[in-house]
Amino acid sequence: MKKIPSDTDITWCPGCGNHAILDVFNKAIDAAGVDRARLVLVSGIGQAAKLPHYTNANVFNGLHGRAVPAATGIKLANHKLEVVITSGDGDMYGEGGNHFIHAVRRNIGIKAFVHDNQVYGLTKGQASPTSDLGFVTKIQTHGVASLPLKPLALAIVEDASFVARSYAGDKEHLLEMMTAALKHKGGFALLDILQPCVTFNKVNTYKWYRERVRKIDASHDPFDRDRALKLALQWGDEIPIGVIYRSKRPSFESQLGVLGKGTLVERYSEAPA
Amino acid sequence: MDINVRIAGEAGQGVQTTGELLVGALADAGVHLFSTQVYMSRIRGGLNSFDIRIADRELFGGKANADILVALTKEALDAGGGAVTFYDGEAPQPAIGMKFTETARQITGSALMANTVAAGAVFHALGYDLEKLVSYLGVTFKKKGDEVVRQNVACARKGAELAASAGVKRANPVSVSGAPKSTYNGSEAIGLAAAASGVKCVFSYPMTPSTGTFTFLAGAADRYGIVVEQAEDEIAAVNMVCGAVYAGVPAMTTTSGGGFALMVEGLSLAGMLELPVFILLAQRPAPATGLPTRTGQEDLKFALNAGHGDFARAVFAPGTLEEAYALTRRGLQTAHKWQTPVILLSDQFLADMRKNIAVLDAAYRPIDRCIVENPPPEYMRYEVTASGVSPRAIPGGPAFVVVDSDEHTEDGHITEDLGARVRLVDKRLRKSEGLAKEALAPTYYGGEDAAIVLIAWGSTYGPAREAVDILAARGTPAGLLHFSQVWPVNVGAAGRMLAKAKRIICIEGNATGQFANVLKMVGAVDSCERMLKYNGLAFTGEEIAERVQG
Repeated sequence: MKKIPSDTDITWCPGCGNHAILDVFNKAIDAAGVDRARLVLVSGIGQAAKLPHYTNANVFNGLHGRAVPAATGIKLANHKLEVVITSGDGDMYGEGGNHFIHAVRRNIGIKAFVHDNQVYGLTKGQASPTSDLGFVTKIQTHGVASLPLKPLALAIVEDASFVARSYAGDKEHLLEMMTAALKHKGGFALLDILQPCVTFNKVNTYKWYRERVRKIDASHDPFDRDRALKLALQWGDEIPIGVIYRSKRPSFESQLGVLGKGTLVERYSEAPA
Repeated sequence: MDINVRIAGEAGQGVQTTGELLVGALADAGVHLFSTQVYMSRIRGGLNSFDIRIADRELFGGKANADILVALTKEALDAGGGAVTFYDGEAPQPAIGMKFTETARQITGSALMANTVAAGAVFHALGYDLEKLVSYLGVTFKKKGDEVVRQNVACARKGAELAASAGVKRANPVSVSGAPKSTYNGSEAIGLAAAASGVKCVFSYPMTPSTGTFTFLAGAADRYGIVVEQAEDEIAAVNMVCGAVYAGVPAMTTTSGGGFALMVEGLSLAGMLELPVFILLAQRPAPATGLPTRTGQEDLKFALNAGHGDFARAVFAPGTLEEAYALTRRGLQTAHKWQTPVILLSDQFLADMRKNIAVLDAAYRPIDRCIVENPPPEYMRYEVTASGVSPRAIPGGPAFVVVDSDEHTEDGHITEDLGARVRLVDKRLRKSEGLAKEALAPTYYGGEDAAIVLIAWGSTYGPAREAVDILAARGTPAGLLHFSQVWPVNVGAAGRMLAKAKRIICIEGNATGQFANVLKMVGAVDSCERMLKYNGLAFTGEEIAERVQG
């Protein structure tokens, strides 16, 4: 199989949080024991969406905002594939917001790693759905007036089966979270990764995050929905990171009788009963 | 003999139930029939009608006027155009009052079987032996138990008695010519072909008039092993289809104009990723929401041009139920052979037309997905080839399959190498040449070398064909050139068939002559007359013949 492209192919800025995410991603694939031949990386458009090109896997780099439906189609056609989305906050929560909500509702068995830098990088510095109030850009010249989206809370409200947050500046924690998400078997997994953008976000810097992120106490029961929702809504002086919520909902694909005897791909030639 | 029976009334009154009962019983009796529906975009009220036309020959379209009208409301009394009219209740002259509802109540205690009373009256008027209807009721309602059968039979007999005692003149029965007993509508023919051809994922958002096929496939899903999912919107639907075909199974979506508009970026994605995406685009009058439940052929230009950038596509437009089945299969196979999107253009007229035809093959005969089973380790998804078609592998095998909506190199990875850009564009567009070579020739119907040639595409086939017969009977020989593939156009075949025509009339259900423009653009026709209709209703043969002569 093809080798990982050399670093010179990578178009991210030096110091970008994506480098750490890519590095940890490769380690997490090994740590979780994922067979790369069965791994499909799905992305939309944005800086984060380029990650699939920088590692070894099957790749579906589709349209802006549409990683989730493409990943859903892939998972339903062949539910034995490990389908992982790596995309940014604009792609998943902005352009693809509707799909995100419905993927959580379905609890389709895909993993979404959202590189959340609270800004648009590829289009050079506009606000994203997770930009803080007052964030000034060349478009939002008087500062962002809309409230930031709360993706984790949104996912918990619709009872996602795995909801976690990590930080690109803490590779050890990120590896733990990615591995846990990849090992999750019960349906949709959301991992929101706080990711400093060194070029376009001069507010939410490495220093800014470092001073605020707090690992969730080991005593937290992720099946406690009320407590999880409180953690998910916490933002500002203290930002909790870790596995915030889990539920025991069955995955969407596990409820489909037609998938019970094997994948659609492997049973294609079989005459129906 | 040629008799048109029309059931008309408000939505929710049983217009459709009565119509379907008559269609079933008449098909069961072996009469050639053709039924159409006209309805308003509402669940209750309004004026809907269901036509069942029967004849001693195969039929291909509807008629403007009815010979027998069953009016379930006062507003429906004018819906027949001079027909013998049965009215449910005290009738204003010259309609005949029949009290279908009251009769059903007397027999069963409920109004529900009023439609069976009406069916009995219609059967009497058509001159048929009522026992044909009785035996059909016995088979149809067997599952619901003996009591339901008994009540239905009693209602049907009473309906015939009501007609007899009202002095309804009995027609000479249209001869029972051993026509096929199996009936299909367009939605079912397309859905059945898709299921039998190996479609494994159907992702759609409901939209009239495409919902019939979506519903059919949901009903067939367990039997054929299909995942049917209602997407959150049409954008999701088409991207789910892209994902599923990438992963290795045939998949499709069903939609109408407005939903297709939302799918356009995904269509372009399928062009770029070279994915065999199959889209049923069931047209209705537009722009915007238009007339949601009516018919039209207004999305041809859109289907041909939708999608940013240049990429290959094929567009089919079936004219009959048999073609709806055959072209769904051919469309799926074409998409897979050429790894590019294919659109099947239908419309409300085709979706809802019901007719008895030979049994369509329901056996599972999956199409060839044209997949490379064991790609080499150095496999590249977009290897440049003479035909433009690169060997297609699917993920999960020995080689990585990399696809990207950005311009990419042969290995599928993002690039800004402008040389690769040109190479890959040329490769993708070479598929258009192959598609053109296998484009279906138009079919010709009518007198050889006729001076008048009608051109039709898609569902206008039937009415145009009947017009040719009507014109021939009136001593005006004409021919019909019908295109069931509207892109690429088989220009050579079209030119040969039109060589001797003195008068060419392109007949279509839109306001601008979209197909006439296409024929001119590709050089198949220099100029032609345009016979257009865009009031939301299908053409009839009679209407076309009159406009040809007028």
